[in-house]
Amino acid sequence: MSVKDTFFVMLIVGVMSLVGNLVGFKNGIVEAIPGMLILILISIAGVALAKFIPVRIPSVAYIVTLACILTFPGVPSAAFINAAMKKVSFLALTTPILAYAGIAIGKDLDTFKKAGWRIVVLSCVVFVGTYIGSAVIAQFILKMLGQI
Amino acid sequence: MKNWKVHGIVLALVIAAELIGILQFKVGVGTVVLLPMLYALIMGIFLSPKFLKVVNQKDMTDAGSLITVTLMLLMARYGTLVGPSLPKIISSSPALILQELGNLGTIFVGIPLAVFLGLKRESIGAAHSVAREPNVALIGDVYGLDGAEGRGVMGVYICGTVFGTIFFGLLASFAAAYLPFHPYALAMAAGVGSASMMTAAVGSLVAMYPQMADQIAAFGAASNMLSGLDGLYMSLWMALPMSEWLYRKMYAIKYGKAPVKEVAK
Repeated sequence: MSVKDTFFVMLIVGVMSLVGNLVGFKNGIVEAIPGMLILILISIAGVALAKFIPVRIPSVAYIVTLACILTFPGVPSAAFINAAMKKVSFLALTTPILAYAGIAIGKDLDTFKKAGWRIVVLSCVVFVGTYIGSAVIAQFILKMLGQI
Repeated sequence: MKNWKVHGIVLALVIAAELIGILQFKVGVGTVVLLPMLYALIMGIFLSPKFLKVVNQKDMTDAGSLITVTLMLLMARYGTLVGPSLPKIISSSPALILQELGNLGTIFVGIPLAVFLGLKRESIGAAHSVAREPNVALIGDVYGLDGAEGRGVMGVYICGTVFGTIFFGLLASFAAAYLPFHPYALAMAAGVGSASMMTAAVGSLVAMYPQMADQIAAFGAASNMLSGLDGLYMSLWMALPMSEWLYRKMYAIKYGKAPVKEVAK
């Protein structure tokens, strides 16, 4: 997808998120626009960086890193961006994504049903593995440091 | 991309889901939290030709091709959550940082199980991580979401969305009740990179240890921000290579031959 097309889709998703942000989180559309524009600009900058820098790093990595740097305490843009972000609910951004995902899943329902029970079993194991793996290390280090 | 029917439907789903809002209630020892994104997902699935027949094959393909882009705005928002708390994270205890490596624990149980269950390259997408938004975005970027790896990561992602929050809430309750872990360790482990899963696990822990509520919440949130920060790099540089390696080993054990080389994208 070209950078221009990506930008276009982001604008559409941005508008939807603004509506969801209003309905679900009572943030007015006008007051949330600066925050949403910042998110779109950061995202499009990340896409452009990934396209024009020859090292193969995914655009999402650029996007997250860029957003981190711009909001790091003391960086001139931090205060302004943080204030703008207060009006853009994190959860409001997730709803349109899952709506697209829900529609798209329709075509995979048969494959999903076939792999279905296996994926469900696997998911449970993945969740437990991630959680207990982290808990074991945290427990060990905290004990070593004498913090528990 | 210019399929206005799909965009219109999504807008309607978003409004309906947000109108229902966040629902929260207690079940046994845990707390169950239902978020609008869950309703949007389920309603979207019910529009498919299998059920209500509102969308057709082309609409579904169009919607699928847009997911990678829609995730980007969320990733940017993610970065703005992590940036401001970076100094706090850097100065916090080594336990918080090192426990992140525990997130790789899923590979060693997940990949062998996936291959044993008969999954092919779906295994890599499904078991390399807990499959939250950054991981889906990453798999989409590296392999494409319409391939086998994409199906794997979307499968676990969907399971996580449908019952992950409930699962983590109960998992934390059970671990605290029956396993020899300190609540702080369980709180740090809760930050797997999903705000809703972390909230559910921390919610359960707080309900069980009200006198430690503030510490538990702080550790959970900090760990979750850390996962948001390092999760992507850890997946890219550690989890994916490890998954690829273990997949080849496990495949050779199960089928007695090396996996057929996939055509590079």
